[in-house]
Amino acid sequence: MTDVVRVTGLRKAFDVTRRTPGIVAVENLSFRLGKADAIGVVGESGSGKSTLARMLVGLTRPDAGTIEFDGRVREWRERGRLARLRRAKEVQMVFQDPYGSLDRRLTVETALRNVLRRHQVDSSAVGTRIAELMDSVGLESRLLASRPHQLSGGQRQRVAIAKALAVEPAVLVLDEVTSALDVSVQAQILALLTDIRARTGVSLIFVSHDLAVVGKVTDSILVMYRGQAVEQGSTADVLRRPQHPYTEMLLSSAPGPGWRPERVAELRAAFAVVHDR
Amino acid sequence: MTIEAHGPVAVATTRKAAPGVFYLCLGILGLAVVAAILADWIAPYDPSATDFSALYQQPSSAHWFGTDQLGRDILSRVIHGARPSLLGAIALLTFATAVGVLIGTVAAWKRGWVDAVLARVTDVMFAFPGLLFVVLVIAVFDRGPGTAVIGMGLAFAPVIAKFTRAIALEEMARPYVDAYRLQGIGSVELCVRYVLPNLFPTLIGYLVVLFGEGLMSLAALNFLGFGAQPPSSEWGLMVQEGRGGVIQGIVGPALIPGLVIAVVVVATNVIGVRLSDKLAVKA
Repeated sequence: MTDVVRVTGLRKAFDVTRRTPGIVAVENLSFRLGKADAIGVVGESGSGKSTLARMLVGLTRPDAGTIEFDGRVREWRERGRLARLRRAKEVQMVFQDPYGSLDRRLTVETALRNVLRRHQVDSSAVGTRIAELMDSVGLESRLLASRPHQLSGGQRQRVAIAKALAVEPAVLVLDEVTSALDVSVQAQILALLTDIRARTGVSLIFVSHDLAVVGKVTDSILVMYRGQAVEQGSTADVLRRPQHPYTEMLLSSAPGPGWRPERVAELRAAFAVVHDR
Repeated sequence: MTIEAHGPVAVATTRKAAPGVFYLCLGILGLAVVAAILADWIAPYDPSATDFSALYQQPSSAHWFGTDQLGRDILSRVIHGARPSLLGAIALLTFATAVGVLIGTVAAWKRGWVDAVLARVTDVMFAFPGLLFVVLVIAVFDRGPGTAVIGMGLAFAPVIAKFTRAIALEEMARPYVDAYRLQGIGSVELCVRYVLPNLFPTLIGYLVVLFGEGLMSLAALNFLGFGAQPPSSEWGLMVQEGRGGVIQGIVGPALIPGLVIAVVVVATNVIGVRLSDKLAVKA
């Protein structure tokens, strides 16, 4: 079966100044993702996971490496409306900040209508499609006339997901989509994403610092540290039998029954020894 | 900002003009606009009609604000003067906004060398005091209200460009802009159709404040004789024409239009600040 996404040898460095050598955000990163699969990308702040997400959707251009969608290598020189619309169907992204990810002037209906019209949905079918999208993200139709400031954080995130799904992308990148939400709303959004994946067959790339959240919605996990993948495997394996001390440290960092902060410090020290070698 | 102590909890409040002051200012500006529109019907006298038997008259029932050195009714001239004064400030601001918003948005959008070049151009324009800049423009072209408006407009444009660039940069960093890109929207459409309209609420409040400054600057130019020419009853020109009487102890012809300018400028400032707050909260 063809991979929906195939990332090979991806690298990105950011220059501090023109003369100062850059900070390497992502280094030699590779992974594959099949249809309707879900992969979690986890790591601490600064591990390069958001840069990876932005490269995947085409907002940041990598220095080296290739990104393929359905066997087609992304060409960064491609311009023009048709190329943009095709890329939009390859991958969409939902952002961390539910307050800034919607245009504050537009009602929910106008925002969804604009996306559908742009992607040539027949004008007679737009109304039905909007109703379907609202239903699929669990929003009542009465909210169609609302503007973003009239919605809660969870509702805004649902609208952002609906907008992304309106394009009918093959892949959905979710960059810390639950971080700004309270715990009960987090659970609702995670359940929604699992449901959407099962119904539509969309592949998910779930970027998060929270291993527990990632564990609930993904089949495999890629652990990033300082731009590199330090561990990759099935979600069950990574969570139950972490092979890398950094993964173990991430797992131990989550407060829970029997949580020992001194154990986290021990693991961090042990990992530093391994990493520095 | 003041911090008032209420028992164990200190409550921080921001000082704002009371609603009454805001509505008073709105009324003053409304009055000026009505005067500009209906001057031909509401002014008691022809603003250019001279009466040499009634020079420098004190305020009376016949002439509420008195008369000037040519016996012209000051109230009628102030009412008629609202038109060139307000229209001049509007024209100045429209021109400055068109230039400034274009430069500011392109600089924020393109960044890189385009931003650097535009920043240097605006810096050079900043380096000249506004008035000197206008005098240069007038020296090259010709004196008159149109030249004054264009010259002063060019002096105001860098201020608007810098402000627009700053708010456009902030706006473009919002995730919704990236979301639009991912939907397949091209750069120009994204900028014109989606980002620019989101700048307007912040920009409008700022422009209302600048309107007062523009009105004052144009009045200063007209006072110096670079803009409107007699027999115009533009307020700055009225102050200039009335200053001859000040030496003789007759301050009305210069003071009244000067006060009108000051009151309208303060009113627009109060309205602008309140408008900025309201629109920012909505945004």
